[in-house]
Amino acid sequence: MTTTVLSPRMTTWLKRVPIEDFKFLVRSILKSLFTIWLVTTLIFFVIRLMPGNPVDIFVQDLLLKGLTYEDAQTQAASMLGVRLDRPLHEQYIEFLGNLLQGDLGKSYISRNVPVAQMIVQRLPWSIFSIGTALLISFTLGILLGMIIAYKRNSWLDHLLTNLAAAMDALPSYLIAILLILLLSTVFKIVPVTMTRGAVSPGIQPGFTLEFFVDVLKHYALLAFVYVLSRTGSWILTMKSSTMSTLGEDYVTAARARGLPEGRIITAYVGRNASLPLVTRLALSIGFVVGGSVIIESIFVYPGIGLLLSQALYSRDYPVMQGVFLVTTIAVVLSNFVADLLYGWLDPRIRIAGEAQ
Amino acid sequence: MTTLRTFLTELGTTLKLLSRNRVAFLGLIVLVFLILLSYVGPLLWPAETRSNLAEIYQGPSLKHPLGTDFQGQDNLLQIIHGGRVILEIAFITGILTTLIAVTIGALSAFIGGAFDSVMTELINVWLTIPQFPLLAILATMLKVSDVWLLAVILALLDWPGLARQVRAQVLSLKKRDYIEAAITLDLGTPHIIFREILPNMMSYITISLIFATIGAIYQQTGLVFLGLVPLSGANWGVMLSLAYNRGAVYTSDAIMNVLSPVGAIALLQLSLVWLARGLEEVFNPRLRTSV
Amino acid sequence: MLPTLSVHNLTIEYAARRGAVQAVRNVTFDVHRGQVLSLIGESGSGKTTFGLGVMRLLPATARIRHGTLIYRRDEASEPVDVLKLDGRALREFRWKQVAMVFQSALNSFNPVLRISDQFADTARAHGYLQGNHLERRAAQLFELVRLDPERVWRAFPHELSGGMRQRVMIALALLLEPRLLILDEPTTALDVLTQRNIMDVLKALRRQLDFALLFISHDLSLAADIADRVATMYAGKIVEIGDVFTIFQSPRHPYTIGLIRAVPTLTGDRKDLTSIPGSPPDLIDLPTGCKFHPRCPLADARCRRDEPELEDLGNGHQVACWNSA
Repeated sequence: MTTTVLSPRMTTWLKRVPIEDFKFLVRSILKSLFTIWLVTTLIFFVIRLMPGNPVDIFVQDLLLKGLTYEDAQTQAASMLGVRLDRPLHEQYIEFLGNLLQGDLGKSYISRNVPVAQMIVQRLPWSIFSIGTALLISFTLGILLGMIIAYKRNSWLDHLLTNLAAAMDALPSYLIAILLILLLSTVFKIVPVTMTRGAVSPGIQPGFTLEFFVDVLKHYALLAFVYVLSRTGSWILTMKSSTMSTLGEDYVTAARARGLPEGRIITAYVGRNASLPLVTRLALSIGFVVGGSVIIESIFVYPGIGLLLSQALYSRDYPVMQGVFLVTTIAVVLSNFVADLLYGWLDPRIRIAGEAQ
Repeated sequence: MTTLRTFLTELGTTLKLLSRNRVAFLGLIVLVFLILLSYVGPLLWPAETRSNLAEIYQGPSLKHPLGTDFQGQDNLLQIIHGGRVILEIAFITGILTTLIAVTIGALSAFIGGAFDSVMTELINVWLTIPQFPLLAILATMLKVSDVWLLAVILALLDWPGLARQVRAQVLSLKKRDYIEAAITLDLGTPHIIFREILPNMMSYITISLIFATIGAIYQQTGLVFLGLVPLSGANWGVMLSLAYNRGAVYTSDAIMNVLSPVGAIALLQLSLVWLARGLEEVFNPRLRTSV
Repeated sequence: MLPTLSVHNLTIEYAARRGAVQAVRNVTFDVHRGQVLSLIGESGSGKTTFGLGVMRLLPATARIRHGTLIYRRDEASEPVDVLKLDGRALREFRWKQVAMVFQSALNSFNPVLRISDQFADTARAHGYLQGNHLERRAAQLFELVRLDPERVWRAFPHELSGGMRQRVMIALALLLEPRLLILDEPTTALDVLTQRNIMDVLKALRRQLDFALLFISHDLSLAADIADRVATMYAGKIVEIGDVFTIFQSPRHPYTIGLIRAVPTLTGDRKDLTSIPGSPPDLIDLPTGCKFHPRCPLADARCRRDEPELEDLGNGHQVACWNSA
């Protein structure tokens, strides 16, 4: 019936999506929306009701500067995007309304710059830097984890397992500081200019080779730090997942049928062992948006993390609030995608309806 | 009295098994060393109060084994004094986190029903919130300078992750025959939880306690590094933060000033991880690498 | 007629912390084409290890200490020394010459691949039929095992019941027309009705196709149902072997007698039911002499001292006992 419009592959995929899956889909969407609403509500009330709530502090600041109470309130309102003289629940409705229109208020420090705009400017850098590193460390982790699961108790196994555990234990910013120290200051392999910022001043952004090379040079050390601090965890998880998969009856049964080891590694061991990791990957992607506050501060990398860090220093509450909201929404979305992905990859889950 | 004796014998056997695992034993030794250094050290070597401008940023020497900082003060001395607060906050947070998580996780799994559903949803929502940004924002707004308050805040943020795992564990234990028997015999919820379920989870709880502590160290040093927690006094994190803010990372003379706290914190984290992994192998023989 | 599988003095050990686990000790017997040999023993008797040994699927901790395993596809074929096979030759040997269905094939299928994919994988590995040809051949096999191809071919393993999966596995085992089929506890963990179903399927198959079947089980009644010859195994050793009628009508080894007496019959007197006292021996620390002597009502000093070997009683019946009844 729909074969003309959709390609054969799409129709087979659609045939794999019976009614239970639609229910599952709808339920997932509703759960995500609910979580987003819950979190935004929490943020709203927490900020306003906490001791030293930023709205009042802001108003106080302005009062000290000599404004009248009304003027102070008006300025605060325009900064935070709400009207302060209204009762709390009306402010809340207004807050939600603004949110749905993509209005996250205006920055306290950079007057009249919409928070949303600031976030959108910085977002690509975080997504690029952490996203790329995430993919690299995931791929490395899967490959190495599977290798050492096959070669248990070899020197490689002991080396990588201990190394991975050590890397996983160390806070990422310690690794960052150590690497900058060693590679830039002591051994002078990496020029200091490449440890700060995303591009060199004077280079125009655009699709030029010069630009790409410059970006990569600035990114290299940062990528190294991310990959070093994250790969360990992937290696360990993949190793344990592969080890338990190798013990499954169907692997022995596959060998009993004379299947070539290559096929067993990919379709029988690999696919089953990486299943739990793929969902973790989807979840990690959500945290990518959060950037890494500390690391981007150290590298002065213009992402969301640095934005938050600067906002924290300058007590720029609208920006703090905005970044936090965007980050949380990203995580909720990635949870949603992870659920779907797991259901699609593991045929057993589809019947059950919900990922465990 | 008998519980104390059984606890000590358990401890003895665990230590003996642990000694076979080289990495874990190393972790234990290093951890004990750091604890002694931080608690006994200050008594033996009192802190410096004056700066010594003639000896700024000196490298390692006999007089200053770890060099000096931007004020000419000895780095090693600062390391000796700087561990106590970190350890205190870490262990208090670890214990609080584990207490809350185990209680709520176990109760939730055991009681089930509406309580469980609400708790699970709460935990799930909580876990979607990026923890460190939230922590950073809270720290900014609350201006925490009290050790206990910081520990409580960290614990309040950290418990859901552990609670979810505890709940899963208790749920699987609940299906075991002896638990079903206890329920049928109507032995009472507190009895079943505290006398039947939890003792069988002790190993799991101990390991979780260590991981909670590791997390707490990461969080507190991160906050201190960003300057969001106005903790004064000797503290490896403060030492690192001060050194970093003075550009010590980019000055080859000042390396020791940075390396000392980095090394100390790294050693602490590593020793805890090695200990935890070793305990995991001891408690779960299937993980052991040798036959 | 030359046997399809000829086992001679096969000994298999596992390495464990406490010592070597002697799982299979000097096992010798033959299986002929068109025949069913049932290997009966308690859990821990070494029967599964033996099966895995034939397929060369033993875990890394296992060692084949000594013995030979000779396989012949036909009278005229070159005999194959199974223990010397390696790499490509071993992969070709597996499934095409000898196929093994594991203890309740419930987890023998890759959960993320459809049955059709798993058939295709097997066929491709041996250069066999593909695509539609494969599907047609599979449909034939499914009908042999009384399954509906429509229901099963495109399904994922978890969509099928345990009994269905077992039958799919049997069908898959027959795909390449092996000469020897090894079934290890094919009906354990299945309910009685499904068990009956599968036994009927197996009996029909052996009439239609001409393979040799090694039926491994702990359940004597199943052996009585399908076997031509029965061998009882205790502590890694064959203690008695003979044709099914002789074994059941005049068993000679106390262990075999004990096993038969332990199975209740509809007509039997309640008094006749006895169980064998004691428990199976520790395979690392075996008792001296005959391994069954601690549980044997006929044990004497010689039994405690020397281990008996299989002795020929005529008519293909062999017993390893100093005091056989």
